[in-house]
Amino acid sequence: MTARVGDRIPGWTMEVVSDARMRTVAAILRDPNPVHWDRASTARLGLGDRVVNQSPISLSYIQNMLMECWGPTCIKRLRVRFPGVVFEGDRMKAGGVVRSTEVGGHPGALECEVWLEHEDGTRAIEGTAIVEPGPPGMLG
Amino acid sequence: MTVSEAELGALVGHEFPGGRYSIAHWENFLLTEATGRGPMPGDLAHPVHLFHVPIAGAGTSLAELFALGRAESDASITIDYYDWETLQPLREGVEYEVRGRITEHERTQPGAGPIVDALGFLFELSDPDGRPAARVAFRWHYWRWNP
Repeated sequence: MTARVGDRIPGWTMEVVSDARMRTVAAILRDPNPVHWDRASTARLGLGDRVVNQSPISLSYIQNMLMECWGPTCIKRLRVRFPGVVFEGDRMKAGGVVRSTEVGGHPGALECEVWLEHEDGTRAIEGTAIVEPGPPGMLG
Repeated sequence: MTVSEAELGALVGHEFPGGRYSIAHWENFLLTEATGRGPMPGDLAHPVHLFHVPIAGAGTSLAELFALGRAESDASITIDYYDWETLQPLREGVEYEVRGRITEHERTQPGAGPIVDALGFLFELSDPDGRPAARVAFRWHYWRWNP
């Protein structure tokens, strides 16, 4: 099946963002920001009593969606902004749509609009991805 | 007192020491698990490594990037954008050479709000044969709530 402009990428869902995973990630990243592991810190900042997911881990939900659709080496470029925040306990869904099948310098590549949104549809991440589909996948 | 615009502007062109980084299996396993998916096939590393591998590989750290921008606190930084370009898949056990530098500074103060200093960073990874592996750019906002 060949991807076409307007095709929706099958979504990828993180059912519950976990504070335990954030602690693991903070240790690996040597991330000193307490908002990822100390609820008192987020409370002091007026962000409530839940810790904040690390931005690369939130972004990884989009990466997982793309890899599930087009294979583990499909992602060539990701350009994203972060209009919202992801907290522990949130349910997040990654989504996307094919915007172009002609990408300069990347024969066979697709340009996609991608996002990560909360259950109410508000976006935590939005941007574009360039992917090169691997072996035949769902859209490639 | 808020750091001066000139002082931060002088950071543009600052180069990090540079160095090498090899993704360990345990690191790939745990970080991939934290993304909510199963292990990557073979020796492929999850692309989420493009966040911390460039920083650590270039001989710096999140703490130093916070300090260079004179962050008021570890929690006073937000992300403007990430631009991650993968030129070859990252793999466990490959010793990547990493170089990095500060590329831009911009100070703004929207309305009556706090001063915001944006710092841009660029990191480049190459494999042991010198072939480009990844190019990672990002820009952070340092908020000045206490001028």
